[in-house]
Amino acid sequence: MKIIVLIKQVPDTTEIKLDPKTGNLLREGVPSIINPDDRHALEAALRLKEAHGGRVAVLSMGPQQAIDAVSEALGMGADEGVLLSDSAFAGSDTWATSFTLSRAIRKMDGFDLILCGRQAIDGDTAQVGPQLAEILDLPQVTAVCGISSFEPGASGRSQVLRRVRGGYQRLNCTLPALFTVVSEINTPRCPHMERLLRACKTKTAIKHWNCADLGLKTQEVGLAESLTQVITTFPPKTRRKSEILEGDPRSVAGQLVDRLQDNKLI
Amino acid sequence: MLRSNSEDLIRKVIARFVDQEVIPVAEEHDRKGEFPVELFQKLGSMGVFGIRYPKSIGGSGGNTTLYCIIAEELARGLLSLAGTTAMQCLMGTDGLYRFGTKDMHETFLKPALRGKKIGAFQLTEPEAGSDLGNVRTTAVQDGDSFVINGMKTWSTSGPIADFHTVLCQTNPDKGLKGLMFFFVPSDIPGFSHSKRFETLGTRTTLLSEIYFNNCRVPSEYRLGQEGKGLKVLLSILAEIRAMTGALALGLLRAAMDASLRYAKERIQFGKPIGKNQLVQSKIAKMAVDLEASRLMVYNTARMIDSNESCLHQATMTKYFATEAACRATDEATRIFGGYGYSMEYPVQRYYRDSRFLLYGGGVHEVLQTNIAKHYGL
Repeated sequence: MKIIVLIKQVPDTTEIKLDPKTGNLLREGVPSIINPDDRHALEAALRLKEAHGGRVAVLSMGPQQAIDAVSEALGMGADEGVLLSDSAFAGSDTWATSFTLSRAIRKMDGFDLILCGRQAIDGDTAQVGPQLAEILDLPQVTAVCGISSFEPGASGRSQVLRRVRGGYQRLNCTLPALFTVVSEINTPRCPHMERLLRACKTKTAIKHWNCADLGLKTQEVGLAESLTQVITTFPPKTRRKSEILEGDPRSVAGQLVDRLQDNKLI
Repeated sequence: MLRSNSEDLIRKVIARFVDQEVIPVAEEHDRKGEFPVELFQKLGSMGVFGIRYPKSIGGSGGNTTLYCIIAEELARGLLSLAGTTAMQCLMGTDGLYRFGTKDMHETFLKPALRGKKIGAFQLTEPEAGSDLGNVRTTAVQDGDSFVINGMKTWSTSGPIADFHTVLCQTNPDKGLKGLMFFFVPSDIPGFSHSKRFETLGTRTTLLSEIYFNNCRVPSEYRLGQEGKGLKVLLSILAEIRAMTGALALGLLRAAMDASLRYAKERIQFGKPIGKNQLVQSKIAKMAVDLEASRLMVYNTARMIDSNESCLHQATMTKYFATEAACRATDEATRIFGGYGYSMEYPVQRYYRDSRFLLYGGGVHEVLQTNIAKHYGL
């Protein structure tokens, strides 16, 4: 049994700050982390491995410093890692990223399941998982918050719980498949020091593939292959409107509930 | 070949653990004065306690530099948790690692490295602090066992430890040359401890007196050769002092980070107080102390990792970094003005906790003499 987990290294902030002049992301003083949803995907994979045996591989695409995300994943318990890094990949939109990842997955030795976080906290698109499933022609389930059964193998199948607006959906899915997960699926474990140190050694099971390793030409990846191009980036203008509710506490509480319901917040 | 830098990676992982899991609960633990069991066990599950031990006995295969990085980051969040971790990583388990039998490793050491058992180190007595030649806890051979009698004080984790590394006198006529360490599990007959001490700072570190009343231990519980207790202590003393320097470094960082943030946020007379030269002077001194402490701590740690003799460097490191942390935490409470006196802000905790560093690893009045001796005085 083999599970591939997609991880992305992102800036450690939920509040992205942009340079007001250039629109570029301000990264100064902001450490990089494994995208939070992806950590949950990795934890889900590790729990399936503990229950069913097999191996967990992590796959990441990014600059060379993304090696830290792959090493940390090995520190949490992944067995092997692949980092796709090449200057030609720069500027990839979600489609070009999905395409490049699909070529790497085809180069890896088969799988029963691909797990990824629902969305990354920097781009926030939630597109890479579904696009990748389409390219690889796999069944996909998004926003998975529980895996109640998992039977890998030739006629593999799994039953999952999926979060939908206002409730949950229980689904049966054949394997191999791709699931994107949300944070409520589990609490990720902390990396172990011994495994982290092992991940930093040259003999560790981390592969580093570039464009040529995937059998691709530079014009087939990155900005050139992207279907979308960013014209400009700017923070949204937010307007806050205050309203003071008046009356005795019971009446104010009632008014507050009405407002929250009107705005579909509860 | 592209690989992560192990020191950077471990610092990053521990820093995130501190930011997400330690700092949010630090004030509450300090206020209640409770041992942070959950955090301690989590550190055990992360392999932190085995960082300086080889993989063959359940360690993580790291070194003193990595150990100091962890100590520094933890101290930035909660000094007492960092101090307890240091006890578990080094003093509380080192004798057991070096001199314990395979059975003792399986029963005590391996569980301790996973955070399932707690180890403590019993050195100080009411009449024997810096003057170890005056240790009065005795171990008398009786057939195949030793009978231990006496008491220890200022025992870190003493009231909750599962086992202890105890410095005993086996031949009172020989003074320092009669000293020897023994391994003593807490559950043997004759072992007891006092109530925990009330302390100014590091309130989640449980300290107490420990009593040995005819505690009988088998002869394989001897840790080292007879009369070599001082040598055993000296063999880890540089590491103890480097680690204490790392704890001071972490606390200094916490004080400086808080001071800097406040100096930028607090507006008086229409401008942030950090625009005033006297506040800038305090921050500048902290920054210089921080940089110097960092260089000294990691220079000493690298000397230890290279098996270089460095007790002198370690002594200076412990002395300088601790004094720097005491200065910084004091100045932090002044930058905060009246709020530095309030229990609402953490700088009061940094100030109280800094005093702990003055005593562990050698009091500074003795350390200064040791440093001067190195120069022939």
